[in-house]
Amino acid sequence: MFGAIYAAEGSSPEAVLAVAQEFSPRVDSVSDPREIVLDLSGLTRLFGDARTIAEELRRTAADRGVQIRVAIAGTRIAARLMVRHRAGLSIIEPGTEAAALAPLPIALLGEIVNDVNSQLVLKRWGLRTLGDLAALPPDDLAARLGQAVRWQRLARGEDATPLVPSVREERFEQSLDLEWPIDELEPLAFVLGRLLEPLEAHLERRGRGAAVLHVHLFLVKAAGETREVHERSLQLPTPIRDARTLRTLALLDLESHPPAGPIDRVVVAVDPTPARIVQFSLITRPLPSPEQLSTLMARLQALMGETRCGAPALVDAWTPGAFEMTPFAPRDGNVREPAASPVSLALRRFRHPVPARVRVADGKPAGVTIDRRGVNGGGVKVCAGPWRTSGHWWRKHERDGWDRDEWDVTLTDGATYRLFRARDTEQWFVDGVLD
Amino acid sequence: MANHALAAVKSALRERKLDRTLTTALAPLERMDPSALVPMDVAPLDACLRGGLPRGQLSELVGARSSGRMTLLLQMVAAATARGEIVALVDTLDRLDVASAAAAGVDLSRLLWIRGQEHPIDRALDRALKALNLVLQGGGFGVVAIDLADVPLAAIRQIPFNTWMRVQRVIEGSDTACVLLASEPLARSAGGLTVTLAGRATWVGTSDRSHRLSGIDVRARVVSPRKRIDGEAAVGAITTEATDRDLPIARHGR
Repeated sequence: MFGAIYAAEGSSPEAVLAVAQEFSPRVDSVSDPREIVLDLSGLTRLFGDARTIAEELRRTAADRGVQIRVAIAGTRIAARLMVRHRAGLSIIEPGTEAAALAPLPIALLGEIVNDVNSQLVLKRWGLRTLGDLAALPPDDLAARLGQAVRWQRLARGEDATPLVPSVREERFEQSLDLEWPIDELEPLAFVLGRLLEPLEAHLERRGRGAAVLHVHLFLVKAAGETREVHERSLQLPTPIRDARTLRTLALLDLESHPPAGPIDRVVVAVDPTPARIVQFSLITRPLPSPEQLSTLMARLQALMGETRCGAPALVDAWTPGAFEMTPFAPRDGNVREPAASPVSLALRRFRHPVPARVRVADGKPAGVTIDRRGVNGGGVKVCAGPWRTSGHWWRKHERDGWDRDEWDVTLTDGATYRLFRARDTEQWFVDGVLD
Repeated sequence: MANHALAAVKSALRERKLDRTLTTALAPLERMDPSALVPMDVAPLDACLRGGLPRGQLSELVGARSSGRMTLLLQMVAAATARGEIVALVDTLDRLDVASAAAAGVDLSRLLWIRGQEHPIDRALDRALKALNLVLQGGGFGVVAIDLADVPLAAIRQIPFNTWMRVQRVIEGSDTACVLLASEPLARSAGGLTVTLAGRATWVGTSDRSHRLSGIDVRARVVSPRKRIDGEAAVGAITTEATDRDLPIARHGR
């Protein structure tokens, strides 16, 4: 059962929508802002028969100062056509839509379906009412007008499409005005907890998670100054709605980016996104949940620095030691057998090559002196090289270029180093230890 | 009577949650369950370890420079990531060579790399230990390694000894194997293992142009808490795979 509401001219569309939403969550705002269609299925158990529902709708609207017409029918199109035609309350019993609509003028259909050409043709054919159109043979009508068959179905009160309810844009936001300004993170933690818990419940009710967390801290305004707002937005790696996790992430972020003064109003909002659906495996070891990982990463980044934690990735470059940091977001993947490849010797690389003094004899390194505590030098027992590499010569002024001869040397203490000589400066460096 | 007294003491310790740190109430060292071990994925060493390093314990890979510590660690990390586990490396002085890790077969997307900074050394060490604690408390990692290999001994000796007891306490009963990479034994737990490594570089080629480093021969000695799996293993030559470094340039060309 569907109802259609048609408000008097000058009525506020928001007020009409609010009346409709009081009765049904499935409401469709059509192109005309004065008209609303609502699904009334199941309301008979609450209010009684269709007429009682219509009266209740009208009374509720009147209480809000809105004058409306109401029509209730088994189909949406029947209710819409009737509500435009007749003032007051109109009830069409289910199954009698075609008969009830038959005497209505065909121009009503033109108001709903915007097809001027077909409308002109039907008028030229002498059709005046919806009943006239409904009575035409469908095949002949289709042969002459094509799309007008759809008109004919509507004239009989048959819906062409199902109801698509308009979903109200929902705001996931909580705010709190503080009686006394706070200027430390510890009391702010309690405030954030109090705001995030109802937000978590709201997200859970709607089956949503937070994609972005916004924290707005309104700073106390001094006399004559404009109010300053400290705004932080956290992009979350996966949809999260756990209040404790969100609070921890917000606090860790605020520790690194503290507000400039005392706070007297806190607003927390999230951008919602469909919640995660997790399928656990009985075969592989479970990974930590995204909430756990996000909290861990936030704590580590606060401790070590934002760019110093993550998953390493190789870059497609010849630059020695080139890599990039990517967010650490492991996915459940297929377990594979470790490759039975020969063990590959690893290099412990000095991120900044260590300057060294190298004694050269017969074109080969013969002794290495390193002026850094903890890195020993000594005589060269065995060496091999040089391997010459160069690159990025066109970016030399940006210190990106390199042109060097590399040597592998084993010193008398048994350690094997990788040395290189920068060909432009003739200076020697230790690149790393083969370990 | 003595049994009653012992039971009373044990009960009192248990109440204060001291039973697992001050007494030897460790689980029996049954090394038959493969799921309780993290293999190094190096057959001779795994044979010597009777399967691998134990989970829920703090173990050590120790040795001098070029003894194969990093190579074996990356080998273990590669095997763990291949099994679908995630691994964390607390790199105190930022020494990891990403290309070496990739060459060892590490699935880099499953490696959480926490990079310290070299200076000042005290702060780097302090932050690394805090990061280690955070990662272990976070849980869910198959292997968590901390690299203290290049940290000066003077700085390491300033670490309070109860630091390692706390670490052990955090991982006890978990699926995480915590591995310490160091130049000398520091802190293995009662149920952990110490693998002491010694390496010798091997070279091939006789002429200047064919002479090159072929790898490192590693000898590993395993020390266990109760002398139950002590032993030695030769890990064999570790080959370099620098295919882009076939021949050095001619000497006269420099």
